[in-house]
Amino acid sequence: MRNMNPVRKGLLLLILGGAVGYGIGLVIDLLISGTLNFSGSVSAAFAVLFAFSSFFFGLYGYRGITRGLVWQVVGMMLGAFFVTGIRALMGKTEIFGPFFFSEPAWVVGALTSVVFFLFGVGALDDWMKWARGIDTPEHKEDPPGWEKYFYVSYDHKVIGIQYTATALFLIAVGGTFALIFRSELAFSQLQFLTLDLNLFNQNGPKLYNTLMSLHGIMMIISILLGVSGIINYVVPLLLGARDMAFPRMNAFAYWVAVPATVLFLLSLVLGGFDTGWTGYPPLSARAPVGMQMFFLAVFTAGWSSILGSLNVIATVLRMRAKGMTSMRLPIFVWAGLATSIIALTATQLIGLSFQLVMFQRLFGMGFFDAAKGGNPVLFQHMFWFYSHPAVYVFVLPGLGVISELLPVFVRKPLFGYRWIAMSSLGIAFVGFTVWAHHMFTSGMNEYLRVPFMYSTLLVAVPTGVKFFSWVATIWGGKIEFATPMLFVIGAIIVFLIGGLTGPPNAAIALDLHLHDTYWVVGHFHDTIFGGFVFPFFAANYYWYPKATGRRMSEFWGKMHFWLMTPSFFVLTFGMMVVGLRGMRRRIVDYDPGLGLDSTHLILTIAAFLIGFSVFIFFVNFFYSMKNGEKAEGNVWNSRSPEWQVPSPMPAHNYEVPFEVVGEPYDYGLPGSKYVEFSANGKTHHHHGEEAIVHGS
Amino acid sequence: MDHKHDKSFLLSQGVFIFVYLAVLTGLEFFIAISFKSVPLLVVVALVKAVLVVYYYMHVYKLNVEHEGEEESYEYKSGTNRLGLWLFLISDSFVFGGLLVMRINLLGLTRPELNQLLGLGVTSVLLISSFFMNRGETMLHNGDRKGFLVNTAWTFLLGLGFLLGVILVEWRLAIEEGMTPDSGPAGAAFFMMTGMHAFHVLTGLILLAIIWFNGRRGLYDEKNYPVEAAAVYWHFVDVVWIFFYPALYLIGRLA
Repeated sequence: MRNMNPVRKGLLLLILGGAVGYGIGLVIDLLISGTLNFSGSVSAAFAVLFAFSSFFFGLYGYRGITRGLVWQVVGMMLGAFFVTGIRALMGKTEIFGPFFFSEPAWVVGALTSVVFFLFGVGALDDWMKWARGIDTPEHKEDPPGWEKYFYVSYDHKVIGIQYTATALFLIAVGGTFALIFRSELAFSQLQFLTLDLNLFNQNGPKLYNTLMSLHGIMMIISILLGVSGIINYVVPLLLGARDMAFPRMNAFAYWVAVPATVLFLLSLVLGGFDTGWTGYPPLSARAPVGMQMFFLAVFTAGWSSILGSLNVIATVLRMRAKGMTSMRLPIFVWAGLATSIIALTATQLIGLSFQLVMFQRLFGMGFFDAAKGGNPVLFQHMFWFYSHPAVYVFVLPGLGVISELLPVFVRKPLFGYRWIAMSSLGIAFVGFTVWAHHMFTSGMNEYLRVPFMYSTLLVAVPTGVKFFSWVATIWGGKIEFATPMLFVIGAIIVFLIGGLTGPPNAAIALDLHLHDTYWVVGHFHDTIFGGFVFPFFAANYYWYPKATGRRMSEFWGKMHFWLMTPSFFVLTFGMMVVGLRGMRRRIVDYDPGLGLDSTHLILTIAAFLIGFSVFIFFVNFFYSMKNGEKAEGNVWNSRSPEWQVPSPMPAHNYEVPFEVVGEPYDYGLPGSKYVEFSANGKTHHHHGEEAIVHGS
Repeated sequence: MDHKHDKSFLLSQGVFIFVYLAVLTGLEFFIAISFKSVPLLVVVALVKAVLVVYYYMHVYKLNVEHEGEEESYEYKSGTNRLGLWLFLISDSFVFGGLLVMRINLLGLTRPELNQLLGLGVTSVLLISSFFMNRGETMLHNGDRKGFLVNTAWTFLLGLGFLLGVILVEWRLAIEEGMTPDSGPAGAAFFMMTGMHAFHVLTGLILLAIIWFNGRRGLYDEKNYPVEAAAVYWHFVDVVWIFFYPALYLIGRLA
């Protein structure tokens, strides 16, 4: 045991811990209900909680993340038992519910669990010291090797990688959920999610609803974390900053997302929820406890988004290298700034809307309860005020990655720099005025429809600017089809389809028919894949050598691309086709008379192919860390400052500060240069076109 | 620009802004009486809000280019200042959302509340901000004792507000039959006052921290934490300036 590989030890303990938690849960369940329920919620909840902590205990020992997770379990029990005790003293009749604890106890337990996690992992240590008047050093040294990724590091590069790894974990989980319910949809009638199934207090169709809802929200959170991952890793390097403006808050913003992930998984086993990720009342006011876990998880993850974006804005405004004026800022930084403006402000509204439903359930406050004078449509306004701009939070950094990488691989200046920079801000601001286009069929006031239709169509203008720039940049360039470039081109094409299928939804007359059909599902998968997923993979392939000093296999990268892209087209076009032919969203079954069986089967096969291609990416990602080809130089022959120093990036970024002396994307222009490193009168020249270290 | 000049400049700017605010309030009153136009009122209210924010930004030197080296305390304080203001912008979206909720659910009606108590707690909170500003200025001028006394007054007044709302106003409302689950008025009232009270509570915790650390002389040189607590306290105050009319004054009794 002592000499075992930590990963194997972790996996072994994962199984052991999960089994112990399951056993404890079974006994509790037996004591409460008197029956032995092998597929019940309580045993599964304990299994989840114990398995996570045990895995990291085996991997890492009792410190860092393990301590956080153990404290989270303890905090949850303390909070829940505290409320249970108070309820017992108050003489409430229902002290324990079907999920062992009553709903208020679970809610308070979940809240305390998040706070306990943050204390346990150590994300609040320095702030607690400051409050007591004890000063701590500005930066702390991380241990070398992999261990620094499992504890609270203040280094933006470590945090960026932590974000990315968590995002990949959530993509894997959310994708698995999709494959499960996609299999059920392959044929009409119920095959395995049947009515007599009973798992986690849910029958088959209910479990379908939960999996579908969780697929949505876990992918969204994974995207938010992925966005933070790229921004955290790259933005300070592009700016020439030593770190983010607020390193402790940066760490806090990451670590608060980890207990949120645990709460998401708890929502699955605690009865689930069948509202979809939108959580509309009145359904969400009646769903099982899983609904509350979902609300709390989104609320907690929202803090990550808000504080992370605050940090990005402060960093961009205050920590740029000398000479980096606003019109010499890398495009990706502009995109990150625009995204952060949305995430900083609008996120509060989804938190508030979920909080109001939470209170409606707990205290009977009738915000959205028509019987008590409330207004369910109000929820939709508040919810979409965030959740539509959120789409731009996902895609703006992705579009920024496209604009950042494109000139590198076509060896030409970026066309229309100013327009691209301003279009990001334009999309962000127009994005605030379009939310009610999700509500054309909701029964909101009719006079609101037309203005929202026009504001929605207006989004196409700044987005179109980006497309013109990309096409003009590619035009006449010397294109190198490296893996990141393939994903960039894929992103442009897929996002174009996503963009073109948007206006039909925005037009009221069409939307009345398209609303809640699979057409919409096809449309938004196109926008999100084109706007985030393809660029995210491109960014991973592109900056991987910077982070690790090795590169991912080109062959398997291209396999990933050529497997994923056609399957993806089949999937989303097929979704639109079944949507137009009458397939509703979010339902477990469809009438065989619709004649959709064969199309659905093809969609399911395509979904599995996408899953397999992402699996290839995962293997490539982890295998290349140790065994990839060494790549310590300027792999892509880029002008960007981070590629002018050896990889992997040293702990404190640039030993010699650089100064910006030219335009960022003047590829191919003789004699042009972007940055100049200088210290003590000694000047190192790094010309964009001259400092070529090809692929080594 | 020397320090003294800076101060008198700030003062005259402050006087101007308050004159503008008074004129705008008069205009608001005029519009409300003669036109009864809600959009016009909203426009004037927004202009007022922008003026107040501008004034605070000026007092706290948010729009001034200054400071030296990037690793210096002054430069870092500037970054912290920006971070805090960004946080307040974010937070104001919560309170904005609550105001939207109140307008949507209650419209031009208002809950039946104890007017005298409402005026009382509002005055207490506004006066606390005066002591906060006084304490902060005293610390800037090197008067640690004055800072402690005034911060203590701020804390006590803030505590008075909190207890007045939670223990007295909430109890009175419940006795009158307005409970959280009784209808939209109760839901809006308890949610809005509750969310605000939560922020007052966090503000009180911050005040306690700067009082204890300030007593040990930690902020004699590096006093950004005091400024941060003060700005946060003013923010909580400004929120109440919007919540008080929304709950107690606007509209007729339901």
